[in-house]
Amino acid sequence: MALVTTFWDIVHLLTGTPLFLVAILGLTWGILGGALPGISASITMALVLPFTYTMDPAMAIALLACVYIGAEYGGSIPAILIRTPGTNSSAATVIDGYEMNRQGRAGEALGISLMSGVIGSLFGLLMLAMLTEPLSWLALAFKPTSYFALGILGLSVIASMGGDSLLKGLAAAVIGLMIATVGTDPISGVTRFTFGVPDLLSGIEPVVVMVGLFALTELMSQSGSTSVTQLGNSIRIRLPGWEMMRTLRRSQIIGCILGLFEGLTPGGGGSVAAFMSYNEARRWSKTPEKFGKGSEEGIAAPETANNTVASTALIPLLSFGIPSSNSTAVLLGGLLMHGLLPGPRLFEQNPQVIDSLYVGSLIAIIAQIGVGVIILPACVWMVNRPRPYRSGFIFALILSGLYTLNNSTFDLGLALALGLVGYFMRLARFPVLPMILGVVLGHMVESSYRRSLVLSGGDFHIFVEDPIAVGLLGAALLFVTFSLAREYREARRTKLQEAHQ
Amino acid sequence: MRKTLTGLIAAAMTAALGTFALHAEPLAYPQKVVTLVTHSSPGGGSDVFLRELSKYLGKYIAATFVVENVQGGSGAKAVARVAAAPADGSVFYATTPTYIYTSLLSKPSATYKDLEPLVNMFADSEVIYTRADGPYKTLKDVIDKAKSERGRWGASNPASLERQAAEQLKRAAGVNAAIVTHEGGGDMMLNVLNGTLDIGIGEIQELRSQIEAGKVRLLATFNPQRIPEKPDVPTVKESGYDVSLVKFRGLAGPKGLPDDVTKVWDTAVKAVLEDPEYKKRYTEEVLVANFIPHAEYPAFITNFADTTEAFLKETGAVK
Repeated sequence: MALVTTFWDIVHLLTGTPLFLVAILGLTWGILGGALPGISASITMALVLPFTYTMDPAMAIALLACVYIGAEYGGSIPAILIRTPGTNSSAATVIDGYEMNRQGRAGEALGISLMSGVIGSLFGLLMLAMLTEPLSWLALAFKPTSYFALGILGLSVIASMGGDSLLKGLAAAVIGLMIATVGTDPISGVTRFTFGVPDLLSGIEPVVVMVGLFALTELMSQSGSTSVTQLGNSIRIRLPGWEMMRTLRRSQIIGCILGLFEGLTPGGGGSVAAFMSYNEARRWSKTPEKFGKGSEEGIAAPETANNTVASTALIPLLSFGIPSSNSTAVLLGGLLMHGLLPGPRLFEQNPQVIDSLYVGSLIAIIAQIGVGVIILPACVWMVNRPRPYRSGFIFALILSGLYTLNNSTFDLGLALALGLVGYFMRLARFPVLPMILGVVLGHMVESSYRRSLVLSGGDFHIFVEDPIAVGLLGAALLFVTFSLAREYREARRTKLQEAHQ
Repeated sequence: MRKTLTGLIAAAMTAALGTFALHAEPLAYPQKVVTLVTHSSPGGGSDVFLRELSKYLGKYIAATFVVENVQGGSGAKAVARVAAAPADGSVFYATTPTYIYTSLLSKPSATYKDLEPLVNMFADSEVIYTRADGPYKTLKDVIDKAKSERGRWGASNPASLERQAAEQLKRAAGVNAAIVTHEGGGDMMLNVLNGTLDIGIGEIQELRSQIEAGKVRLLATFNPQRIPEKPDVPTVKESGYDVSLVKFRGLAGPKGLPDDVTKVWDTAVKAVLEDPEYKKRYTEEVLVANFIPHAEYPAFITNFADTTEAFLKETGAVK
């Protein structure tokens, strides 16, 4: 295996100042960038990309990988503190993270997120080092039909996300799917629902929808309420103890597995894994009723998953040159810029790049505990500023972050409009998560479905001929049946109880 | 933020270029700073092209070159940005077939007609490839399969030169093939490697690592001539199907560029393409130098656009 060749190479790389510095700088920048709402992991990486032009290729690639690791963790900070996912993949963390914050347990939530992130990253790195060559076949095994089935499996999560009404959940999901159809048709190239606006040609980016529905909606409803929730100034990050880590073990394992899976297959870059592991963690939890009401496991699962993806997404990138997410696409740009071609030959021709990538990531993951603890009190302090100042600051931050996405004022208007939509959805008690899932997955489901049918000439048998698709679709069917049955049982139980009373 | 970044890079580059300047006398130019605009994101195809080019241009033109990424709208915004800029040689756009396709398909406010093509520099090599352990050894094998049953051919993007090439080949050979469009060459390559598709049509740059690793076999190229680095790969035309393409890469500016500007570029681009170091770099990238001077480039672009429009009308993508 083309791992680090000798023990002394490791020692040399660990103690060599450039790599150590690069790893810490990358990590710190990653956490800060990830923590800025609207600045996703890929944007955080893209912003440092120009600086790497003059760097040694091995250092440049390690830097980008460390930024990615930092950003995946950083994204959970605003998710917990201000109900705004800093990155797409921390959207699932909002649910229980913000709930814990409201209960005055922000420090605890941040600690769980940090430690779960470290565990996910370590697991991901281990998988990256061990499995890059053997597992690259999985990326190959996925055909358009399999991607369609994967998307459907992701959408089936909606069945258990509806909140108080399944119908409202489905309606929200359909709106999300409709938003995903805006832009250039993925198969024919014809433009759809763009109304002649060039900014809509490449579609509506999920991050715009998330910022609108989560962050702006929250700001709007906060300014409408008069109650002041002030966090205690004594809030310090509280790393979970052994007892807590034992409780979280199950959800972290789920996060690791789903993160590994999503990292290997092109998809939403951690957001799908985060949502699915949240859902699975609830399904397998001993205390599923706590989910949505400030469950520790509800933070641990998605945070483990998205940090795992930050490492495992490099497996298809390094072995095939296929970026499975926006962030790895930026990393691919970094590799190409330095004349490095991803693929099996990279391991033979440029082992120093691979070595410093692995060792740099390891340094960043371990340093994450320290850097995370140092940065967090500052974040808690920010949340404790008087609300008018804080809201104004966040508003400016969100909009400027969104602006840097495409340098487009159109995105700002779109996010504001979506914020209003989210506000009314909240008033009418429509859940927003299914809508976001629809936006995230709609594109993949549609394009792979239609691609499959083009391949088969319109014959639906193609979906049954692919064993992976059959397995995934079967699992989706089971999920839906399972959640519907549970909902039915619960509805009957409450009815019976009411009848008793 | 982005401004200061590009400023820093420009400063670093001028510092690096100071050493080269000793060897050649750069041509006098009316502008001190020239902004090269691309629609691709940092690290994307045209971005890398411009950044590489700007490293060497300073040797031949006495100006500082800055790359600006204007993303969004599949190039529509970048075209609008350049079309609205003063025509004094200070702003140029990196052309690829994308800007023609976007102009025709999406009908944005500023189209390729609002820009003045400056010079062409390269042609990317478009190839037909299949998996190395698959059943197809020649293009004829693929066509025969599509004749007897049904072919499955991949094109990297729906509105692209590759798709046009696939449709034209299908027609020229008179066969039945599903043309499956993707979102990017990486996606498509997986489907070729796992046997979902018979062949893929894409740029050779995207395949380099797979070719080196021996996983992919090149069956033919759509280039008018064989690729110098791959002399064994026949052209599609040689194989008996009258289809050939030029995936151009050059520069365009706002309408009404003054003569003193275009003259400098004509001379400088010709010289930079001969620059030994630059030549080494772009040959590694399998880019084929294809210099078209300012006098001929507008006609080339118009001809390309007309052919494309006719094709899009035939397939019903544009009315």
